[in-house]
Amino acid sequence: MSDLPLAGVRVADFGWIFAVPHTTSWLGALGADVIRIESPKRPDLVRFLGATEGKPGINRSGLFHSINFSKRSIALDLNTQAGAGVARRLISMSDIVVENFGTGVMARFGLDYEHLRALKPDVVMMSGTPLGQTGPYAGAIGYGPNSLAFSGISHLTGYPGGEPSGIGGTWPDFVVGVVMAMGALAALHHRDRTGEGQYIDLSIAEMVTGMIPEAMMDFFLNGREHGPIGNRDPDIAPHGVFPTAGDDRWVAIVTVSDAEFTALCEVLEAPATAADARFSTMAARLQNVDALERELGELTRRLDRDELVAKLRAKGIAAGPMYNTAEVMADAAMVESGMNIELDHKEAGRRVIPVLPVSFSGFTPNYYGGPAIGEHTDQVLSELLGYSSEEIARLRAGGGVL
Amino acid sequence: MDNHPSPGALEDLKIIELPMLDAMPFFAASWAGKTMAELGAEVLKIEPPKIGAQDRRYGPIGRGGSDAETRALHLYLDCNKLSATLDLNDRRGRDLLMRLLDGADVLFNPNPPALNDRMELSWRTLCARFPRLIAVSTTFFGTDSRYRDFRGGDLVATQMSGVGYETPFNQVTDPPNHPPLRAAERQADYMTGYTAAAAAMAAIEGRKRSGKGQHVDVSQWLAMVSTIRINVGELSHDSPRAGMHRRLFVRRKTNAGWIYPCRDGFISFRSSPGNFWEGAVRMMDSPEWTRDPLFETETLRLKNSDALDALLTSWFMEHTKQEIFERAQAQGVPCFPLYDIREVAENEQYKARGFFQQCEHPVAGRFTMPGPPYRMSRTPAAIRRPAPRLGEHNAIIFCERLKMPRDQFEALQLEGVI
Repeated sequence: MSDLPLAGVRVADFGWIFAVPHTTSWLGALGADVIRIESPKRPDLVRFLGATEGKPGINRSGLFHSINFSKRSIALDLNTQAGAGVARRLISMSDIVVENFGTGVMARFGLDYEHLRALKPDVVMMSGTPLGQTGPYAGAIGYGPNSLAFSGISHLTGYPGGEPSGIGGTWPDFVVGVVMAMGALAALHHRDRTGEGQYIDLSIAEMVTGMIPEAMMDFFLNGREHGPIGNRDPDIAPHGVFPTAGDDRWVAIVTVSDAEFTALCEVLEAPATAADARFSTMAARLQNVDALERELGELTRRLDRDELVAKLRAKGIAAGPMYNTAEVMADAAMVESGMNIELDHKEAGRRVIPVLPVSFSGFTPNYYGGPAIGEHTDQVLSELLGYSSEEIARLRAGGGVL
Repeated sequence: MDNHPSPGALEDLKIIELPMLDAMPFFAASWAGKTMAELGAEVLKIEPPKIGAQDRRYGPIGRGGSDAETRALHLYLDCNKLSATLDLNDRRGRDLLMRLLDGADVLFNPNPPALNDRMELSWRTLCARFPRLIAVSTTFFGTDSRYRDFRGGDLVATQMSGVGYETPFNQVTDPPNHPPLRAAERQADYMTGYTAAAAAMAAIEGRKRSGKGQHVDVSQWLAMVSTIRINVGELSHDSPRAGMHRRLFVRRKTNAGWIYPCRDGFISFRSSPGNFWEGAVRMMDSPEWTRDPLFETETLRLKNSDALDALLTSWFMEHTKQEIFERAQAQGVPCFPLYDIREVAENEQYKARGFFQQCEHPVAGRFTMPGPPYRMSRTPAAIRRPAPRLGEHNAIIFCERLKMPRDQFEALQLEGVI
């Protein structure tokens, strides 16, 4: 345990839904003692999604478990003085506080940064909201996928000339989770060197806008306005997803040189395509990309997806199958990767949980299954926060501790 | 060039970023370098002599100057970095890299394992030689994977991760003619870059305790799979909801999906769960149809979502995105206008927050670019220097830091090693 990078670091986790729970699972896996504050009166909606084997129950959400490993849970009512008081005692013993309530909610609990730094001057606090803590629309609420609309990326994602779209995997929530982990760790590093804490304000929409630099920079540099281009790349053709034999089976193919395009045509047994003047150079293929994609699609349509992928890989061409979730999990390299591991859960049993997508040669992350709601209330209040069992009983009777 | 007074959170760190030497564009290491550089770390970008790194060869080209100095990706991703050129295919180039790695905290290396082995730059070699070094591999599939020698990249990782399966999100109406999509630009590269930066910081924390560096193995494919983790969780828990994540689930069947047309474009809007529905009803001034028994409960609204979406859309079509945004937010309903690029560039919220930053570049001139993803109150991420010209810091790095005699420096330049 002690060789974990964040051993000795405590995190007070006021997160919910997807983004911040992902952040704190990262921190917990890295060895931090993450204590998630929950309220059975107003539980995380995620606790009701994806019930294990279809049997409902607040501690049975597979969805919750996939983003809440490696942390403890305590149950408080922050709307009560007593509940907020317990939270304050926890914060006074924490290094990092992280939250993604709507702007202003932490202040209502008396838990905004100004209050927190009075409790713990070197605390690092980080908030994530759709549009940030300041500005005329600071209070705007929304899920991560709603923020995509504001950021410009929805305008750019879609079929060429078609309607705007969102992105799979409830994008950008899990990107936000990692970026917030990065921000918190950077601030922790600064604190370790200087003794200074700080407040970090993340706007999800701004983060996503920062991830479409080609469109933003082309607008600012040249006044050009980009729209959706599907799977295409402005500099590379083919760069697409093509149908193969069977129902909804597709293959992604990218060739970055003329030689690779020739090799692709060999695999497809299409000498006429290889010899076609419209496709003879990268510039020509880009110019005739509609015809190119149509022709390649006709060629791939009759082929077995996995055989085609294997042949293309053998030629050094970038190719991969379009996978659904079950196929992702079943892929031999995924099984071997150590990213999907079995963790135990009191009510859900032993289940596969996707953990960090990274391996470290110096340590094994600390992975354990997600908590039942309030599972660690007594443990944390007595062992860590020093409440006696009588005090805990009194807090419970008063409704501050749930 | 330093024009920002506040310290960076990472100002004590020295980072080296290697160029992708494979022909497949791959910007994960460059993105990781950007993430650390804007927080104040010294990031030295090693570039192939003459052609420079991939950032100088892809994406839109700014006005004036040469491609290599005004490519958009270079101006944006390499901002705050130093540039030195080295031919890593030449032993002398690699020897100089070794001298630079002595004293570096982090190395970001995007190159495929086989190429690293050939160049004697494998992480095992480097970690043995530099025990305090944090060697971060950002590769397509991971350095230990059975796929380690396969080409990947943004499109392949997106499709193999399950993200492509759901993109466009809930909008596939004509499956045979609607291939799965990627997200705009290079999200798989950038997600991998952020993952690598966060993992590098974890290893920095670890080194404070152990005194030792280590290898950090970041796979683009796995980084993308980590973004569909809820789908994996549902499937592994045998949740009936797992079936919802199907590509052919057309938007209207998911109820109050995300994107709707309106009078002057599109909005993103969510009226589920129930308290949002109540707000949506108030937002529309409680029209008669919202009291239809068809829409009485969440379950019924889901079941009758075709009819519901049609009625919602008819109301949206009478209002502009700004009106709907403000009216929905006033009722506590998640809703945002769907902006095109000009609207993003000009919106009041970003302006008020100063999200876009001004950069002054000797070749590209003065231009605007997006700022960092977070506001740090003590150590703001900032533009400390514009993107470097190719090899701009060669003399500082080789002659001053490595104390290379001037004649040797010039000879190596002539031979194309520097």
